[in-house]
Amino acid sequence: MNLYLSTDMEGVAGVSGWEQVDARTPHPEYAIYRRYYTLEVAAAIEGARRAGAREVLVNDSHGPMRNLLFDELPSDIRVIFGNRKPYSMVQDAGGGFGGAFFIGYHGGIGDQNAVLCHTYTPAVIYELRLNGVRCSEATINAAMLGAHGVPLLMITGDRTTVEGVQAQMPWVHGVIVKESIGNFSADSLSPTAAQRAIADGAAHAIAHAADAKPFRLDSPIEMRVTLTRTEQADYVAMIPGFERTGPRDVQFTDADMQTVFKAFVATFRLGMLA
Amino acid sequence: MKIYISADMEGTAGVCSWAQVDPSNTHEYPVYRRYMTKEVNAAIDGARAHGAHEIVVNDSHWDMRNLLWDELPADVRVISGVRKPLSMAEGAQRRFDAAFFTGYHGKAGEPAATLSHTYSDATFYNVRVNGTACTEALLNAAMLGLYGTPVVLVTGDRTTVDNVKAALPWITAVPVKDAIGYYSANSLTPTAACEAIRTGAREALRALPHAKPFTFSPPIELEIETLKTEQADFMELLPRFERIGGRTVRYRHDDYHAIFRAFIAAMRIGGAANLPT
Repeated sequence: MNLYLSTDMEGVAGVSGWEQVDARTPHPEYAIYRRYYTLEVAAAIEGARRAGAREVLVNDSHGPMRNLLFDELPSDIRVIFGNRKPYSMVQDAGGGFGGAFFIGYHGGIGDQNAVLCHTYTPAVIYELRLNGVRCSEATINAAMLGAHGVPLLMITGDRTTVEGVQAQMPWVHGVIVKESIGNFSADSLSPTAAQRAIADGAAHAIAHAADAKPFRLDSPIEMRVTLTRTEQADYVAMIPGFERTGPRDVQFTDADMQTVFKAFVATFRLGMLA
Repeated sequence: MKIYISADMEGTAGVCSWAQVDPSNTHEYPVYRRYMTKEVNAAIDGARAHGAHEIVVNDSHWDMRNLLWDELPADVRVISGVRKPLSMAEGAQRRFDAAFFTGYHGKAGEPAATLSHTYSDATFYNVRVNGTACTEALLNAAMLGLYGTPVVLVTGDRTTVDNVKAALPWITAVPVKDAIGYYSANSLTPTAACEAIRTGAREALRALPHAKPFTFSPPIELEIETLKTEQADFMELLPRFERIGGRTVRYRHDDYHAIFRAFIAAMRIGGAANLPT
């Protein structure tokens, strides 16, 4: 089986503050947690391969999306590196993968007890709904994978994040690496224990891949976005096909999930400028 | 008679540098802001001499709050401020008897046109509608034309007004300067320019029976060449935009209002591409 990994950083064991995951400034803490992040990804690959996974594509999906330390990863995988991918955290997921893992994922914006919760761009996105379902990054990303026929097999992160995804996709194997106390604190496994749990979880998820289903949204897909600020909605409402449904609300409907996903990316790109 | 004025600044007499039209400039901008206001006033005067009674001025330059209220007649309305959905043509959805474009400039890449650009010089390399390379004047004229308003007066440098006249042959063109290059012009004085604009506005309304609302015939195709590849990357995210080259995108629609809004959205998201990664 060929495996797709979308890897984020906020849901890595031990992470409880932005400095630890801030690649842009960058804070000295980042160098430490970047390594833990890489080791969790390596653990997932090791476990998946133990259970028979072969080719692995890792999409570095955090911040500027060039966080992974190559030296700590197996040499025979491929890595998607860099920012501004049109499909962002689920770039190039359409290549006939047997399944996908979400590693280091975090809660959706507004989730209670989810470390560093947000949905793509917290400065812009206040709430995202697809066909009425409130979406975390995991939800919209799984829906994009689902449109390619790729099922999500495993997610790792804090309890709120993992259980939130399992409520929407009961077949997903969850590895809880920390209990979130609030937005900025967690009761966490050690990195070593988390890596071990992720490797075992990955092996389990691959072994039970036959039970998983692609997460498909009914077409046409209706996207509703609530923006953080009114002026962002002013901008976003200019996107072709977008309807202004409230002072800070826009709506877009299309039959094709890829179009909806790109329109969502356009929404937060444009909102950033406002 | 109701008149709409879209007022830009680069085509004002004497203007030949960004310093004169950049609101953050504390020395030159206040001077040229006053000249811009005077030229708008002259256009209003001329329109009134021909019987116009209702005037709406859309401040259409930079952050779009340049006009000095004290120097305008008390009974005009001014559309002030930035981020208007229809930008330089905001208000076009109301039908006017005629529209004026004052202080306009040439399109991106135009030789011998002072401070030439098309909406955003940081984003647009070329803008074509139905194959025609567009100035701001043409893009805006089509927005007004869609709702039945003909553009009858354009003021700016000679290159600019001649180009607009080639597309809208009924228009009264008032060249207030001859551009030597991007940063230089052989100009009328502000006083003489105002006089020419006043006369031009009167003539333009006299010739109104010959004027037509300018429209593009559907299906309409907007083709944008961006300055930088990453801007086309972002524009391609917009629904119904097609990537047809490294720095070229295309958007098609039967309704010019949708085309114009898509153009503005493309400009905004092109600006977002200039943010740090």
